[in-house]
Amino acid sequence: MVMACRDKRRHVGLQQLSSFAEAGRTFLGPVKSSKFIIDEECHESVLISSTVRLLESLDMTSAVGQLLNEAVQAQNDTYRTGATTLLFLAGVWSRAVEECLHLGVPISIIVSVMSEGLNSCSEEVVSLQVPVHDIFDHMDSTEAISGLETVSVSLCPFLQDPSDASSIQERHDLKDVAAQLTTYSLSGRPVKSPKFFKPQAKVEAGENTSQTLKNSLHTDTCFRKSVLIHSRHFNRTDNNQGLRKPRRFLEQCGATTFLTYGCHDLVELAVGLSHGDGSSMKLVEEAVRLQYQNACMQPGNCVVPFVFDISRLFTFCLPGLPETFSCVCPGYITVVSVSSAALIQELQSRPIRVVLIEGDLTESYRHLGFSKSTNIKTALDSMKLPEDSSEELWANHVLQLLTQFSVNLVLVEGNASEHLTEQCRHSRRLVVGSVNGRVIQAFAEATGAVQVAYITQVNEDCVGSGVSVTFWRNPLDVVDSSDRMAILLKTEGINLITAVLTSPVSAQMQTKEDRFWTCAYRVYHAVKEAKVFLGGSAVEFLCLSHLHILAEQPLQKGDHACLGWLHDTSSWLASSLAIYRPTVLKCLANGWHKYLSALLYNTATYSSELEASTFIQHHLQNAIDCGSPSSYVLKEYRKLNSGIFNSGISNKLEQTPIYDVVTPKIEAWRRALDLVLLVLQTDSEIITGLGRAQINSQKLEGFLFL
Amino acid sequence: MSCLEAKKPSMCHSEPLTTEKVRATLAVLKGVLTSCYGPFGRLKQLHNGVGGSVCTTSQSSVLLRNLSVTHPILKILTTSVQSHVSCFSDCGLFAAILCCNLIENVQKADLTAATTIKLNKHLLDLCTSYLRSEVCGCRIPADFSSTHILLCLVRSILTSKPACMLSRKEVDHISALVLRAFLLTIPENTEDPIILGKSVIVPLKGQRVTESTVLPGLLIEMSEVQSMRLSPLRKSSALKVALFSTSLSGDFSDSGEGSVVVSYGVSLENAVLDQLIHLGRQLVSDHVGLVLCQKVMHPSLKQFLSTHHIIAVDRVGVTLMEPLSRVTGAQPIGSLGSVSPSSYGSVKDWCSAKFGRKHFFHLIPNEATVCSLLLCNRNDTAWDELKLTCQTALHVLQLTIKEPWVLLGGGCTETHLAAYIRHMIHKEPGSILQDDGCTQAELHLIAEAFCSALESLAGSLEHDGGEILTDMKHGHFWSVQAGPPSVVNWPDLFSRCGCGVYSSQEELSWSVLRSTRLPFAPQTHLPHEALEISQQSACSLTVDCLTAKLSGLQVAVETANLILDLVYVIEDKN
Repeated sequence: MVMACRDKRRHVGLQQLSSFAEAGRTFLGPVKSSKFIIDEECHESVLISSTVRLLESLDMTSAVGQLLNEAVQAQNDTYRTGATTLLFLAGVWSRAVEECLHLGVPISIIVSVMSEGLNSCSEEVVSLQVPVHDIFDHMDSTEAISGLETVSVSLCPFLQDPSDASSIQERHDLKDVAAQLTTYSLSGRPVKSPKFFKPQAKVEAGENTSQTLKNSLHTDTCFRKSVLIHSRHFNRTDNNQGLRKPRRFLEQCGATTFLTYGCHDLVELAVGLSHGDGSSMKLVEEAVRLQYQNACMQPGNCVVPFVFDISRLFTFCLPGLPETFSCVCPGYITVVSVSSAALIQELQSRPIRVVLIEGDLTESYRHLGFSKSTNIKTALDSMKLPEDSSEELWANHVLQLLTQFSVNLVLVEGNASEHLTEQCRHSRRLVVGSVNGRVIQAFAEATGAVQVAYITQVNEDCVGSGVSVTFWRNPLDVVDSSDRMAILLKTEGINLITAVLTSPVSAQMQTKEDRFWTCAYRVYHAVKEAKVFLGGSAVEFLCLSHLHILAEQPLQKGDHACLGWLHDTSSWLASSLAIYRPTVLKCLANGWHKYLSALLYNTATYSSELEASTFIQHHLQNAIDCGSPSSYVLKEYRKLNSGIFNSGISNKLEQTPIYDVVTPKIEAWRRALDLVLLVLQTDSEIITGLGRAQINSQKLEGFLFL
Repeated sequence: MSCLEAKKPSMCHSEPLTTEKVRATLAVLKGVLTSCYGPFGRLKQLHNGVGGSVCTTSQSSVLLRNLSVTHPILKILTTSVQSHVSCFSDCGLFAAILCCNLIENVQKADLTAATTIKLNKHLLDLCTSYLRSEVCGCRIPADFSSTHILLCLVRSILTSKPACMLSRKEVDHISALVLRAFLLTIPENTEDPIILGKSVIVPLKGQRVTESTVLPGLLIEMSEVQSMRLSPLRKSSALKVALFSTSLSGDFSDSGEGSVVVSYGVSLENAVLDQLIHLGRQLVSDHVGLVLCQKVMHPSLKQFLSTHHIIAVDRVGVTLMEPLSRVTGAQPIGSLGSVSPSSYGSVKDWCSAKFGRKHFFHLIPNEATVCSLLLCNRNDTAWDELKLTCQTALHVLQLTIKEPWVLLGGGCTETHLAAYIRHMIHKEPGSILQDDGCTQAELHLIAEAFCSALESLAGSLEHDGGEILTDMKHGHFWSVQAGPPSVVNWPDLFSRCGCGVYSSQEELSWSVLRSTRLPFAPQTHLPHEALEISQQSACSLTVDCLTAKLSGLQVAVETANLILDLVYVIEDKN
């Protein structure tokens, strides 16, 4: 056994942590720069633009690297968002902790004060929570884009392809809007209804806009507008007269209204949570809408409050197709071989019966937990050999069963035997393999079918009915390189939605899918928790200024509630807490400061981080002078346009607030700090299973042996 | 041709403790353990250096399990501490550090091993009899009629494991849960002997700690599909339960060696399946409502049972079998043959529940002493540590119900005990020596070594360079910043002693723990007023489990004696 001890002055773990975190810096904020990761040995490369994918591709064998990976994975598995925040904060806070160590603050005090500080921040930011309720009330099914099963989204994400959008000139005729808004505010309903925006707000694309853009802008004015103004190019058209009017109104209105009235509208929520990725969010919003409509159509279901069930949302990626093909449809989309085209053609005219298989559909498949005996041999009694192989016999048996129950569709969770699939195709039956278990479950619910492990279990009660099979779009459009085509399976009232994601650049497919899920989970958490934060860094700024104020406040004896557990103990550390507390809190606050300046810098509003930092410093001073940072934030939230709270992704036209998810965010902070403190409190690494001989002699320094 | 190699002669080392290498390794081990001790202890990252999972801990059980020590002397030490931990869960580091301290200190005394061992034993007896006596000044009765002391006990354990990464609020939450889980295992009827039930810890990683909860009955994890199928089967009345420990998957894995030959057209699988369905028919005719299986059930059997409205839950796992049998009263069935009706049990109710992303089958028993502690923590490392800590706390509560006393923690028991020994040696050395042939001088030397071992153990609680003081009235532990200004009003420097019973506002005088001072008689009989005051204040007491600490003390002294007694180490080199 070998043990490595750490030098007390130089904390290697913390240094490792901050250098790992540096790698994810550019993923912070709405404008993300992608990275290429190249494997020098096999010359493979991947394009990544998220922290999770970055850590997946990095080889981090050090103990700290693994802990970091574990923390990010845990955050991602639980919430699917907040990984970048976690990584970045872990980095800046480990530097903050190192600074404390240099200043001679005892480790236990750093641990106690930092966790106390973060707890206090988490309590403070409650004041920036916006209730989310009744967002589905405004969503009449008639109003939603009805009749259109697929909604095309053609807009390229500006952040990735700015050249397309730079030529757009906007003209907004918003006089009426402003007038009516004022009326609303007089009548005591200051929260604008987006329904009301729809007919008036028109966005006309300029002549030199590309055709696709023009189309998309016209099809979906309301949302498109919000997408556009998330672009930094749009932000520069400051000379537009029309923009100023609503802003003035909103200043009078004040941001407190959000907190009282909350967010009542799905569109507003989705725009607020899109964080610059309007195209993905558009799909998510559509998915929620479809699910809601479906839920409403279920008999007796409208009484139960609608819950967005993200487990019934699936993505289907089609690389190589233009962005215009991205859409959301009810039902299940998958690919089948082109040779089934004729079969689909034939089946698509009528409802068909379905069987759902939980395992593989092969002769040799046995259910999980069944151990096959290897020592059983079959002896032939007579000289007569069986005519067919057992595979053949089994396939015939299966076909017989399918014919008996007139089943035309078999959905298989595992693999389906190719031979059987072929035979079924000849008898006009479709077998689809590798279907997700939750898809099978959805079909079971909608068709009345019962999942079985073996096809021999099928009886009349197990067969579902009423499934329709169609081509997804024109079959010729969507034949991919391996000769497969997309089909759509659905049935009346099925609680299942597939988002088709397309990208002409196949390297971006993964990124696109990740972004879609990030957006979907943001909406999911917001709806589930029924609250969101005011976004655009408002909460982080509040934390920053709150910590500064906390650091100035003298410690009061007996004020246990807001203090860390250290205060409870009788150690000398508790009594000398007051001396070190301001220093540690300021170091923690510095972490927020760096977070905010990196964010501002990344959104390209500022040419250097220093400039961004100065800007934050200015507001910080104002907030501290004002006495109550939370009211300062609320007051300034609407006023600042190019400022801290909505820089880069601000919406000048409509001032749609930017939102952020609550628990995932706070949890990301907490996990980041926990990780840093865990590493801080670790004084040695114990490496098990290695002998003295296995360590290089020059590396022996710093190792102790048992 | 066979090749014979001559056996190597065995190696024999004499006086193993005197060699520099052994002393150095012992010092390394002591350093590792000491740095982990207490609520401010430093953590250790355990990993294999080639990308295996990383475990961050400060608990003796995990550390000692993973330290691969080579020298026999260290092995004796780690093994005896590990066996103590397996019986008492708590006080492992206490025992290990004390043992190291004792070995180190008595070696300086330079007496014969026999004398040292004899005197050590006397001192141990003195300690145990004092700690068990009515006059003991460092123990409190564990009052089971209120939660105060019990909560303090659980909280002390939780806060002494910093790798759990709990905030103050979370410590409160988990302490309350652990105590509730423990109370749920106490049967309502107080017949003798009381048999305590079981708290099963159910993992739910990735969630917030405050989402942890305690539920009466058992939680069986199952897949989402399985839980979906259960929902239409809602029946809220008592159910007859059959509990299978054998696999119902329809395989025949135990066919032994050799091969089985079957003639063409005979399907063994179908034969077994027929047998399973036959079993299913019996269950139906016996009106069983719930079938639980430790292993896998054949899908066809499940289908058969569900068409007869019987709930089937498989893959229960071996750990839940014993509590399931206890909760339902069912006997685990180990064969596919006919089932004796006496082996059926019953449950009051069931429901399906979802926590985090996991789906559970929640079994609600009629009246039983089994509960589930659904434990959440943010990541794997912290969860593992928290689980172990909760297990320790539950075990310590069980030990406390047997011996309803707790010792003052936070170093106070150690310093108090040291003061008591010094006082006794000073006052009546004859009563300790009896007629062993040891001189008073020898007794004084060893007693000093013993006391300073206890005191430096208490001093190990300090990791940030503070100074430890002790008061000359109670002999308690006081912590102060190193190098305090020379003219100082002592009571202003600290508020309470280590365990939290006494406040500095009393008329006390202090002395630095490491310095020599005149023996004084520490106050015995913990005054009631002191406890009442401390109960009222917001500060909670730090207390330790009496049983575990006594055993730790015993293990430490006896192991030290054993190691001191070693004269030769004989190593077989073959």
